[in-house]
Amino acid sequence: MSQPALEEQFEPAAADTVVAARARSSWELFRLRFRQDKAAMVGAVMLAVLVVLALAAPLFSRLVGHGPNELFPDEMLTPDLGIPKGPNSSFWFGGDSVGRDVFVRTLYGARTSLTVALVATGLAALVGVSLGMIAGYRGGKTDTLISRLIDIVLSMPVLLLAIGLASVCSISPNGCLGGLLQPGLTLVIGIIALFTWPNMARLVRGQALTLREKEFVEAARSLGARGYRIMFKELLPNLLAPIVVYATLLIPANILFEAALSFLGVGVPQSTPSWGRMLSDASAGQIFTIAWWMMLFPGLFLLATTLSFNLVGDGLRDALGPSER
Amino acid sequence: MGKRRQQVRLVGLALALALVAAACGGGDDGGGGGQQQATVEKGGVLRTAISDFGFTNGFDPTGEYVAVAIGLYGAMNRTLVGTKHIADAPGNELFPDLAAAEPEISGDGLKYTFKLKPGVKWAPPLDRDVTSADVAYAFQRINTAPLVAQYGFYYFGTIKGMDGKAKSADQKISGIETPDDSTIVFNLEKPTGDFLYRVSMPAAAPIPEEVGKCFKKAGDYGRYVISNGPYMIQGSDQLDVTSCDTMKPISGFDPSKKLTLVRNPNYDQATDDTRANYVDGITVSVDTNIDDIFSQVEAGSLDSSISDQPPKPVLQRYLTDEAKKPYLHSNSGDRTWYITMNWAAPPFDDLHVRKATNWVMDKQGIQQAWGGTTLGDIATHNIPPIVLGDKLTADYNPYASEGNRGDEAKAKEEMKQSKYDSNKDGVCDAKECSNLVLINRNTPTFADSEAVVVASLEKIGIKVKPRELASSAAYTTIQTVKNNIPIAMNAGWGKDYADPYSFAGALFDSSSIIATGNTNYSLLGLKPEQAAGFGIKYPEGVTIPSVDADIAACQKIPNTEPDQRNDCYANLDKKLMEEAVPWVPYLWAKNITVTGTTVTKFEFDQFSGYLSYTQMAVNNKETIS
Repeated sequence: MSQPALEEQFEPAAADTVVAARARSSWELFRLRFRQDKAAMVGAVMLAVLVVLALAAPLFSRLVGHGPNELFPDEMLTPDLGIPKGPNSSFWFGGDSVGRDVFVRTLYGARTSLTVALVATGLAALVGVSLGMIAGYRGGKTDTLISRLIDIVLSMPVLLLAIGLASVCSISPNGCLGGLLQPGLTLVIGIIALFTWPNMARLVRGQALTLREKEFVEAARSLGARGYRIMFKELLPNLLAPIVVYATLLIPANILFEAALSFLGVGVPQSTPSWGRMLSDASAGQIFTIAWWMMLFPGLFLLATTLSFNLVGDGLRDALGPSER
Repeated sequence: MGKRRQQVRLVGLALALALVAAACGGGDDGGGGGQQQATVEKGGVLRTAISDFGFTNGFDPTGEYVAVAIGLYGAMNRTLVGTKHIADAPGNELFPDLAAAEPEISGDGLKYTFKLKPGVKWAPPLDRDVTSADVAYAFQRINTAPLVAQYGFYYFGTIKGMDGKAKSADQKISGIETPDDSTIVFNLEKPTGDFLYRVSMPAAAPIPEEVGKCFKKAGDYGRYVISNGPYMIQGSDQLDVTSCDTMKPISGFDPSKKLTLVRNPNYDQATDDTRANYVDGITVSVDTNIDDIFSQVEAGSLDSSISDQPPKPVLQRYLTDEAKKPYLHSNSGDRTWYITMNWAAPPFDDLHVRKATNWVMDKQGIQQAWGGTTLGDIATHNIPPIVLGDKLTADYNPYASEGNRGDEAKAKEEMKQSKYDSNKDGVCDAKECSNLVLINRNTPTFADSEAVVVASLEKIGIKVKPRELASSAAYTTIQTVKNNIPIAMNAGWGKDYADPYSFAGALFDSSSIIATGNTNYSLLGLKPEQAAGFGIKYPEGVTIPSVDADIAACQKIPNTEPDQRNDCYANLDKKLMEEAVPWVPYLWAKNITVTGTTVTKFEFDQFSGYLSYTQMAVNNKETIS
């Protein structure tokens, strides 16, 4: 394959080859590299399919005629013991322990997982990048203060805090912190964001620390630019690559975090379909030993999602900064 | 189950003989006997495990209220009167245990005189006779506020001089006399038909003052419990009782790991005709993995489960495999599980909404979520039939529906009459019906049931926000009146002893409404002037019904008239179901125990609702090292 290519290069230059040889923009370079990464492309396609399935969940729900919280005890549970029944032509993934459609819930679960992961990661990135940049750029006492705060947050017992918050916020219908934190989805998002921003902040702080000594920052400063302008106009664009890469890799971690919280019963309520919650339901009392479908399908989807995010993340890292390999 | 246990029934007592048969429905599901394929021999170790002791007071008998502990006390401590620790109705009968004979009761029912049996001794290191002063001391501890006797209400205001407010346990009680070492006299404020049940509770078992006086905070005595019954905590003899400072927790008990009981060398079987004591030792290990407990029982490394209920796959295996079937034991737990609705929280301040909720509930679905009929019968009223002497059975079902799936049409009929359904379509349309907090537990059974409850409520327009909490957090939340939780499904209640008062008093009497630790969750009988004191609003234009007078009337009937007493309480239950509607009762749960092939004699203890440590035999040849 390399042979013809070489020969081509020795062909007399045609006019259009000259055009093609112009310097590629970094975006073009990135796209080229990313497309050549087969694993990343597979990941991206899987991800696209999952997103489509998540968005189309209501359509599928209508197609099979089962809502995500609709109970079908007569069809899908044994009459006395209430043991779930397996996949059949109208319940493609079988029923769960109260006779709900596992297929429909799995699709709706994709919505929960993706929402939680994206929103929590976004929040974590917002807080982490802002604080990290301030700490790295300002240095001195500000840096010490923020760095210690990071240490404190990272040393908090995640699960104990989560369980405590879930209890405290459960008493009033409005949750706590003036309704900002509701047990369930918003609390899960809050907890995940709370415990993932510090790593992002550390990463950004380290980068900012190096960048602020670079000539272009000196130049900006000598032109009279100050604090936030330098941070956001000069530092941020240069930090974008590591931030995007880290955030992409953080998403699958957060999906698993949500699954873990829901698995432990401090995540979303059972009326909100979530893969973690479904896995938890399946493992409760080892019901999966007689109802494997309750664990297999949400497990496969969880695996596919985290895998595809990881593949895409790796691809992004390679494509954005090959030197970081 | 939070708390509350037991039942007892009087028999050995002359006056009560007649009542017994009537009062106890009797177990129908093969609860008792059990397999007897091998000859029953003494020896071996009864090896059991539990996912969590769940102690409510650190195993200190004065305050401990969890059924599992009450079962264990049966093997360790003797009360003046007690049961035979066997299943079903016979297990509700009371016999003299520490007492030599039935008490002498004065004609007005106000004075009970007990004579103690000679020859009952404390386990090592005390090695002395149990005296009437030890019994009196137990009551002094119950009366001591800092020791938090959780069922002190059975004694306060009943025994003269007991109000639960004493600051220290050395304070004598005016109504209890000990004329000599073997005589104890109780003077009561009012005739109390079920008084003997009350003295059969473990808090009323003697406690030696020389050890007990060292423990002044709730629960602290739990690791130093000295036995006078057949079994004692291993290492009890090593306890150095020369002073309070030299006492170190007894080695055979670590509440987070294991309790090991061995034979009490000072126990004389001849003094006891209520216990058989086959095994040489009893071990209760804490194993947080419930699946593992049942695997170990199947594999033979444990002899029996205790209070943990088998997961569905285990249940299915035991129910479908003929060889395993005999090892699954079921007993009436004398317990109701229910959804409670708060009268002070709209929309449940409207009787029609409360009735509609009862009509619409898919109880069959909840029963399936629990694991089917093996685990419990669908509850059709509040107090379990056995506790009412079958004066009210499942035949009484004021909200009957086909297949117990709920009757949506009848529910909507009720909802239409409610002020919260302005367009009269049978679906609540007021804002009061949405955003309601529903407290629940976060364990599988409850989470599964929740799906059913939420779906049922939605049919009549009640939209809830379920909050799933750990069991104790869920209880604390609904037991705090100012939280004003509108609806909760985490609550269950089991009898303390086989008398309906042990349901009615705590659950429905307005006098039991307290700011924290409240058990009258629906706030029946709450008066407008009380509401502000609890930090809640009294519903406008509503009078919360009260059944205080009905309970008082039933309490006037002595236990010697069980038919009349149970009829009275059966009528109370009907009134509750139809006029006050505090709950949606959904399950009369059974307790399931799974045993291994090593168990040659199985027995339930109806008093605790779990296995009977003193009546079970094993052939595993194990010894306690």
